[in-house]
Amino acid sequence: MAERSVVIIGLPASGKTTFLAALWHLVTARDVETTLRFGGLRAGDASHLNAIAARWRDAKVQDRTAVSGNRLVSMNLLNSDGVPVRVTFPDVPGEAYRRMWEDRDCQVEIAEVLQAGGVLLFIHADTIQTPKWIVDEVALSKRLGLEVPDGEVVPWHPRLSPTQVQIVDLLQLLRTPPLDVGPRRLAVMLSAWDKADGEGLSPAAYLEAKLPLLAQYLGRRADLWTSRVYGLSAQGGDYDPVEEHADRLPAAEDLRNLDRASMRIRLVGIDSKTHDLTEPLAWLME
Amino acid sequence: MTTEDESPKIICANPDCRVAETGRCVEGLALDACHHYGVDAEVMDDEAPVEDGRAESVTLPSGGALTPAQAADVLRWGAARVVAVIGPSDSGKTSLIASLYDLFQEGSVDGIEFSRSRTLHAFEHTCHDARALSRRGVPHTHRTPRGEVSFYHLEVGGGAAGEQLALLIGDRAGEEYREAADDITVVSRFSEVARADTLTVLVNGERLLGGGRHNLRHDITMMLQGLRDGGGLRKGGRLALVLTKLDAVQAAEEAARALRDFELLLQDLQRLFGDVLALITPFRVAASPKTDTMPRGTGVGALLSFWLGQVDAPTSVVRRRPVHARMFARLQAVEESLELQHG
Repeated sequence: MAERSVVIIGLPASGKTTFLAALWHLVTARDVETTLRFGGLRAGDASHLNAIAARWRDAKVQDRTAVSGNRLVSMNLLNSDGVPVRVTFPDVPGEAYRRMWEDRDCQVEIAEVLQAGGVLLFIHADTIQTPKWIVDEVALSKRLGLEVPDGEVVPWHPRLSPTQVQIVDLLQLLRTPPLDVGPRRLAVMLSAWDKADGEGLSPAAYLEAKLPLLAQYLGRRADLWTSRVYGLSAQGGDYDPVEEHADRLPAAEDLRNLDRASMRIRLVGIDSKTHDLTEPLAWLME
Repeated sequence: MTTEDESPKIICANPDCRVAETGRCVEGLALDACHHYGVDAEVMDDEAPVEDGRAESVTLPSGGALTPAQAADVLRWGAARVVAVIGPSDSGKTSLIASLYDLFQEGSVDGIEFSRSRTLHAFEHTCHDARALSRRGVPHTHRTPRGEVSFYHLEVGGGAAGEQLALLIGDRAGEEYREAADDITVVSRFSEVARADTLTVLVNGERLLGGGRHNLRHDITMMLQGLRDGGGLRKGGRLALVLTKLDAVQAAEEAARALRDFELLLQDLQRLFGDVLALITPFRVAASPKTDTMPRGTGVGALLSFWLGQVDAPTSVVRRRPVHARMFARLQAVEESLELQHG
């Protein structure tokens, strides 16, 4: 059987584990037509995938404590020609990628993982930290007749940098020694797309509007990324919080009431809308 | 996670947290607010692989400003322009550099697009004190400390940049350039000036408004004289004469006089240094206005286009980076202790 790997990267809480959970449900439920199909269970531990998919079906937020640590998960799939392929993904906490930006180092085992296959980059579409300037905020405060904020000065820390800068740096690091393995394909997954699609923009237009530095970087192709942009709603809406006795959300109840959980998934591509989460994977592995 | 010395052990259940080494929570929380802090990993999650927070790691490029040797490496790998920005320490050099980078945060600049940068940490650090997250009431920029020159790196494409062009912007303390007028032997240290495709001389608009305007014009003239007599001006080079803090100038009663002073300085420099420099071009910028009377980065796009313009001599011997399929073929020889050289 062919062995393929796909690298999943993204800052903390960008939707990486939710994607894996939804993907595992989708391929094992087999109730929606997909480009890559389930190839059966083989020797190896599927407990992590089963656990996160169970939480996803229950419309519960993934418990970050339960998913801490670095894991490799594998799925046996069949491609569109029916050829078996074993696809391996890392499920690595976003802190590892944040550490690359902030501390400029990377654990050896993560460095090895990052050097395999095409890249799925997750960006939470609803929590993008954009740069804001003092002069603009002061002008706005004055126009609104508000007091100009003047608190204790905050010293610089890399974590304060805009999302797009941290992402561009991460992609640059993947094309710079010691992590560089040559030009690769990149699928940019704008997660929580249900929160973003009210703006009426395509995923590519949304990227250009909200993350213009990243859009320029990918458009100029100085690092030879071949990229596609997707809008992804892998949850379908808000999920119940992790806390044991927290109130259940009506939105989560609606999702649980769907007859087929796979119908929660929405993937928006260049000119298509689908429930098929395997489409970007198939493209990355072409 | 534990420490190995005699002090009390600091532990954290998050295997990615290095609080024992850094004192900071990896989640960015206060230590007493983090429910992982002080809890053993095995207690929190029996199934999670127990990681040593100090596991062997690989070092990544720093993202800080480039040394002259690193800048020389950039010059060897592709078409590039070197810019030396010189002016007294309060002339707005850091604001100009920060503003240029920050313009790309919102989109292309006069048709020029961001391609990549090896110095994103340096740019971000420089921009911070003009950003709202610094919680300052007014934009602020730090002075460049004295010492060896360092370089900001920006690769751009489109517009005046053509397909792809690297820009290296030298950053050195303004006081050091000023010393050239006192002792021309210091000029030999200014490798970035001798190597520059474009010299950029900043004229502090606020100083032109006050009683120091004559001294400012004289200081700039003598600084350039020192650079010339010390062998720092390249024959046929280009010079951008930049009036900074245009927002303050325009808002002042003395605006017309200040603009006339700037014009006189331009004429003086063209008369005195026109035999060495092929082109002396004026620019007026408001890189980081203190109020919203002018857009941030006013005039900076035009200056960028000038920096990227055609130069007489090639900046370097260009070696295209080959793309090889095999890892072994991608190995490159590392040359050390490289200095910036004339093109």
